[in-house]
Amino acid sequence: MTGGVTGAERRPAWLPRIRPDRQLGWYALAAAIVVFVVGELIQPGFASAAGVKTVLVVASFVGLVAAGQTLVVLIGGIDLSVPWMMNSMAVLLATASIGSNARAAWVVPLVLITGALLGAVNGLGVAVLSVPAVVMTLGMNGVLQGLTLGLTGGFTCATCGSAAPPALDAAVNGSVFGLPGQLIILFLVAVLLTVLLSWTSFGRRIYATGTNPRASVLAGVNVTRLTIGLYSLSGLFAALAGILLTAYGGKATLGMGDPYLFQSIAAVVIGGVSILGGRGHYLGALAGSITLTALVSVLLAKDMPDYGRDVVYGVVVLVIALLYGRGEREAA
Amino acid sequence: MTATSSEPRTTETRRPAIEAELVDKRYGPIQALRQASFSALPGEVHALVGENGAGKSTLIKLLCGVTQPDGGTVRVAGEAVSLSGASEAAARGVVTAFQELTLLPFLTVAENLLLDHEPRGALGLIRRRELADRARAVLAEHGVDSIDPAVLVETLPLAQQQIVEIVRAVSQRPNVLLLDEPTSSLAEREVEWLFDLVRTMCRAGTCVIFTSHRWREVSAIADRITVFRGGTHVATAAALDEDEAILLMTGRAPSHSVGERSEPGQRTLLGVDGLHGGRLHDVSFEVQEGEIVGVGGLEGQGQRDLFLALFGVRPAAGRISVDGTAVRLHSPKDAIRAGIALVPEDRKGEGLFLRMSIRENLTLPILGRIAGRGLLRSAPERAAVRGMVAQLGIGTGDQEQAVGTLSGGNQQKVLLGRWLLTGARVVLLYDVTRGVDLGTKRDIFARVSELAERGAAVLFYSSETEEVARMSHRVLVMREGRIATELTGDEISAERIVRAALRDPVTAVGPVSSAGPVPAVDPSGERRGDR
Amino acid sequence: MTATQTSPSAPPTSGSGENGGPLSRLSAQNTGLLLAWLLAAVMLVLYLVLFAARKSALPGNFELTSTVNNAVPLVFAALGQTFPVLTSGLDLSVGGVMDVSNSLAATQMGTGVGSILLWTVLILLFGAATGLVNGLLVAYGRLQPILVTLGTLAILQGIALKVLPQPGGTTPPLVTRTLSNPDAPYGLILVALACALWFVARRTTFGMRIYAVGNDRIAARARGIPVRRTLVLAYVTSGTFAAAAGLMLAATTTGGDAASGDVFTLISIAAVVIGGVSLFGGRGSGIGAILGAFVLTLLINVLFFASIDPLFQPFYEGVFLVLAAALTALAGYWLRRRRIERSQR
Repeated sequence: MTGGVTGAERRPAWLPRIRPDRQLGWYALAAAIVVFVVGELIQPGFASAAGVKTVLVVASFVGLVAAGQTLVVLIGGIDLSVPWMMNSMAVLLATASIGSNARAAWVVPLVLITGALLGAVNGLGVAVLSVPAVVMTLGMNGVLQGLTLGLTGGFTCATCGSAAPPALDAAVNGSVFGLPGQLIILFLVAVLLTVLLSWTSFGRRIYATGTNPRASVLAGVNVTRLTIGLYSLSGLFAALAGILLTAYGGKATLGMGDPYLFQSIAAVVIGGVSILGGRGHYLGALAGSITLTALVSVLLAKDMPDYGRDVVYGVVVLVIALLYGRGEREAA
Repeated sequence: MTATSSEPRTTETRRPAIEAELVDKRYGPIQALRQASFSALPGEVHALVGENGAGKSTLIKLLCGVTQPDGGTVRVAGEAVSLSGASEAAARGVVTAFQELTLLPFLTVAENLLLDHEPRGALGLIRRRELADRARAVLAEHGVDSIDPAVLVETLPLAQQQIVEIVRAVSQRPNVLLLDEPTSSLAEREVEWLFDLVRTMCRAGTCVIFTSHRWREVSAIADRITVFRGGTHVATAAALDEDEAILLMTGRAPSHSVGERSEPGQRTLLGVDGLHGGRLHDVSFEVQEGEIVGVGGLEGQGQRDLFLALFGVRPAAGRISVDGTAVRLHSPKDAIRAGIALVPEDRKGEGLFLRMSIRENLTLPILGRIAGRGLLRSAPERAAVRGMVAQLGIGTGDQEQAVGTLSGGNQQKVLLGRWLLTGARVVLLYDVTRGVDLGTKRDIFARVSELAERGAAVLFYSSETEEVARMSHRVLVMREGRIATELTGDEISAERIVRAALRDPVTAVGPVSSAGPVPAVDPSGERRGDR
Repeated sequence: MTATQTSPSAPPTSGSGENGGPLSRLSAQNTGLLLAWLLAAVMLVLYLVLFAARKSALPGNFELTSTVNNAVPLVFAALGQTFPVLTSGLDLSVGGVMDVSNSLAATQMGTGVGSILLWTVLILLFGAATGLVNGLLVAYGRLQPILVTLGTLAILQGIALKVLPQPGGTTPPLVTRTLSNPDAPYGLILVALACALWFVARRTTFGMRIYAVGNDRIAARARGIPVRRTLVLAYVTSGTFAAAAGLMLAATTTGGDAASGDVFTLISIAAVVIGGVSLFGGRGSGIGAILGAFVLTLLINVLFFASIDPLFQPFYEGVFLVLAAALTALAGYWLRRRRIERSQR
């Protein structure tokens, strides 16, 4: 009956407020460091500057997708349309820009906006039509798959295999102050999301909605608009990831988005973001992306066969979810 | 520490039908029960009272096996037991009817009543066709003939759901029957039915234990009353009056509500004209500054729609003005901006964010005001919160504390504080005393009066007519979505409100709204000719 | 010691819920199922019309047989999916179980009856084991079903690739002849079997408990229902049915492909939703899921006869899924409000 200060965090007023559950994000970072250390032991050179850079670059794609996934999971949703959102937007980029820088100037924004709009459709279905997130985004994934495969004749269209525009290539693969452009982009996204989640009223409303949607409505939060906005952002980030992945790999390929669904969810789980919503932070998911990628790299270096990746993602999700307990479990 | 306990009718000491001895129960950081003891005799009606959070519900859960104590013993018929669940408890003759009903909404009444006891056929398969008939028999056996067993439970009004829940428990012929707030949704006649049922069972030797916040009922039916406070037993007596009870439950003398009340001012803060939509038909009224206007009437006559319309949750057509300015309320955000606040009945489900801090709970609606271009600024936020926390005396004064760890009364303060921070001039209170214990209720009344004294316009609805009568300067009685009658000043009484609610014979039958004192009017009076 | 008494002073107030007759009561509890029948009828008519328009004749034995054979894997997958969905969960690993099941059938089964029977049992056990893992993690680990089944899906997809890295292998002809006979619609026997299994399940304690758990988990626990055990069994059921569906798939496609089951995650959920089973748990019928399976299979036929490129199939499946979910949610909401309002007059 009485309150008491049990369970409350006591911190100096000026420190950004770190909830007890966000500490899970720190575990993720610790895990990443552990994996690098172990990797170095198993495979000398793994944790060298070059090695770490490689892992970070590969992880950055997951990290981007995980940005959108984090936002959506924070309000208790999920985005299963990631694979074909990425793929369809990559194809759109390739076929519309056909390797030309001039075209890229308007195609890239077009692709991003399209991704955002498609994401908004997801949000509309979830918020306005009361379709559960799993169903809506799963359906959207199928829709995009059908459209992409159908319109490109199964990837046999003339422009499908176009190389990415050189400017894009340079932006992603080129160096800025010795760091790959890809990492700079990731850094910017991380800063953006951190500010958004920790220091804006928009972020506060996200956490409120994830914690108690009904109470949020009654407290004046426009939950519908918030939901649509967050799914839209998820679509945007997936589109961005698709663009960058195309530039990184040189062109769009069939099925390029498939691995990113499991990876983004695993990253989010490792990062301590609760699948029920209302708890967690992007930085945790980012750390999770790095940990996951590093882990897979170590295993691949030790001759794990390719199909093992999927197994690893699955096992990691289950084990981490069990370990973290609190965030993932229903109230008793 | 037991007060004098009444002697049962026989002089021999009887073995308790069920008892808990020095039990402890902890939920995370909260000690729900602390060395608590309780015992009830066969054939008696034993009431268990106390504030919310005093441990009554936890004790009931322990006694019926839904949860297990951390320490201490539970005994059934003298034998120490460790009940691992409701079915084991039932096997020992202990059955519970829960306040949060254990009915399954999308199953029929029959399926609910006969769950795990269905009629079976040759291969051990359930005979679905017989379910309804068997259920009808069970209902009739307990005096209920007006509920159709083939309908889905969710379509039943709450009162009937509660009846089904009670029948479900009683039909298992328990030795010990635990009733958790059994009358919270029942009307007068249904309460009588329940009490008859209880008396019959007790004559046959069943021990009936029940919890309630309605003092009249407790006094009427209980052979003995036990008071709990702070997770432990405080007193057991054969009779207590309300003030004594409050003293025992809260540890402090009850505040006497609404003694001196200031008169409302001249300014019209809330103007409603021709409100229309959903269940509402042409509702018009005004609320002055400093005035408390109560809304009365039978349940389901449009009160909820009215409040939801005034807060933009379920917009209605018509004209609404706040302090002379017309406003369009299409969403709660519009309402908040217009200076209207709504405190809902279910504070945990609809109001508070239990995991978040007091500060975050308080400032959610006003983030726009304290943020600069979308960016939060911690200094202004903390300053605003500090003021409110001090003013209302919330918790220990630490604004970072999670609201979920606060007591019920403090949580209510947080909710109130949130709306005070928005500077709302019009406060809508919808059944805020539902399920609230007596002590906190008095506190709430005190605060509502305070609100009015400070110049807010208050619209107040409660499912207990007596409260509406006690608190209001004026009462609007609603019927079929319209304001049927307006009572002012000395005209206001629970009796008059009920009478006004029933007057129109077209309304036909309906449960009397959970009235406080027994109304002087026979609820079926309107059928014997109007008075 | 009885609790009966002489009649009380006054019976409780009258005014019970439904005033409608048996038909409206039936519709109340089975709204979803009725809508599913309606949708199935519409789809059938559409198919017949398009077929007749194209071929100037009505579908014959060949069409019936191939439609039924194509529907059977989904029928079983959807029926299995019904159980977790009724408990307000979801099994996303259905596709993965089918992948593994299909791959194993195509690679491990010899042509002899003994080998076939052995591997059938092993495959079904594998499905059950997956379901057990899912169920334990959901019920005792208290993890969210979406997360758990997504995790097992990933693991299963990996395992399937290990078993069968490239599409290939052959399903023993005996299996194909039994489960997917091309000569006549014997597949209808399998469909009847599925219906019978549902009929029985609905009338067991397990069946009632599934509904109870899906309605209100806490209430169910307070009533003494072993919630966790029920949940585990729900997922075991789903896994076993998915394994069976994988076998049917192997029979129909006569070969193996470690990714052929993937699409079934989406369409098993679509079938269940179309069939009127609520994703929020506690209501719906397995017969609806079976109907939903037929609706989706007919959809593919309809698309074919409307000359739509098969590559577009996922598009239509996705649209159907979303529309079905949205319409059922809205219809259910509207109907309930009407009923509640009527009952409060």
